[in-house]
Amino acid sequence: MRNDDHARARHLIDCEAVEGLERDDREWLDRHLESCDACSAAALATERAIARLRLAPVTLPLDLAARTQYRVGLRAQEALPRRQTWALWVSVVLSWILGIVSAPLVWRGFEWAGRYAGVPSVWLKLVFGLWWALPAGLAAAIWAMENRKIEEQ
Amino acid sequence: MWFADSLTPDRTALAAGLRRRDPDLLDHLIVQYQYRLFRYLLCLTASRETAEDLFQETWFRVLDRGDQYTGKTSFEGWLFTIARNLVIDLHRRRKPDSLDSLEAPDVPADNPSPLDEAARRQREGRMEESLGRLPALHREVLLLRFQEDLSLPEIAQVVNAPLPTVKSRLYRGLEMMRQEMGESHAQ
Repeated sequence: MRNDDHARARHLIDCEAVEGLERDDREWLDRHLESCDACSAAALATERAIARLRLAPVTLPLDLAARTQYRVGLRAQEALPRRQTWALWVSVVLSWILGIVSAPLVWRGFEWAGRYAGVPSVWLKLVFGLWWALPAGLAAAIWAMENRKIEEQ
Repeated sequence: MWFADSLTPDRTALAAGLRRRDPDLLDHLIVQYQYRLFRYLLCLTASRETAEDLFQETWFRVLDRGDQYTGKTSFEGWLFTIARNLVIDLHRRRKPDSLDSLEAPDVPADNPSPLDEAARRQREGRMEESLGRLPALHREVLLLRFQEDLSLPEIAQVVNAPLPTVKSRLYRGLEMMRQEMGESHAQ
């Protein structure tokens, strides 16, 4: 038997474990192993090494999963109000932008309604101011309530 | 439902659940992958304490970045990639080096009795001694291939290396492992 055959057999033994063998290679290797004690022993050593690796025991720390579940749960709860607050601030900013852009148009509407109903200009300005400040006031109130709830928790 | 049956993960449902940050799903995954993930982290960090910290950190990342899992790749591949990146981050913070610098696994006890500890050390020690002498890069691919049964492309994804590099590490690692185990067996 040539040295090349042994080298090929050793390579195929590893190849079988790592990425699998084509049928022809598999048949050649089987034939070789039947007639070569040294390569057969190498194949057995590889098989045993992999089996030992597969079956290597690892002891898990006590309650690892339960402790992780608890901490992940806490983090999920903490993240929830943060997400809601973020959404709230975005809506506040959007509403302010919309308010500023639409303010001249809305004021004209107020003026027309005031003239039609005969409401004094001071009252009109007050109501217009409230209309403009109300969304921000509501957002601030919700934000304060949420903060209080989180602190209580 | 997350799974079509108890063993076959439905990746699309899994991805949707992670996007929703479904607490029941996360609890289920933590239990399901606890052994494999801890074993992988232990293999990379060589320290039970560090592996435990990174185990929890990995699940925080899964919670925070669950929307990044699309379901197109295997969940375990994604999970191990997160874990591996955390190990690399940790080692960069400690010393700017790669996985090569990791040492042989040291397995201290949690609080077992001396008798339990001795028995466990005997069981685990022999294998870990042999494995621990291998370079971390080789140890890692051997573990992913033969313990986690990941395919070669999945391993390439996890270790962020080209397929030929993964194969080369596997062949070299296998050869070294055989030698180490042969020696430890002979001792």
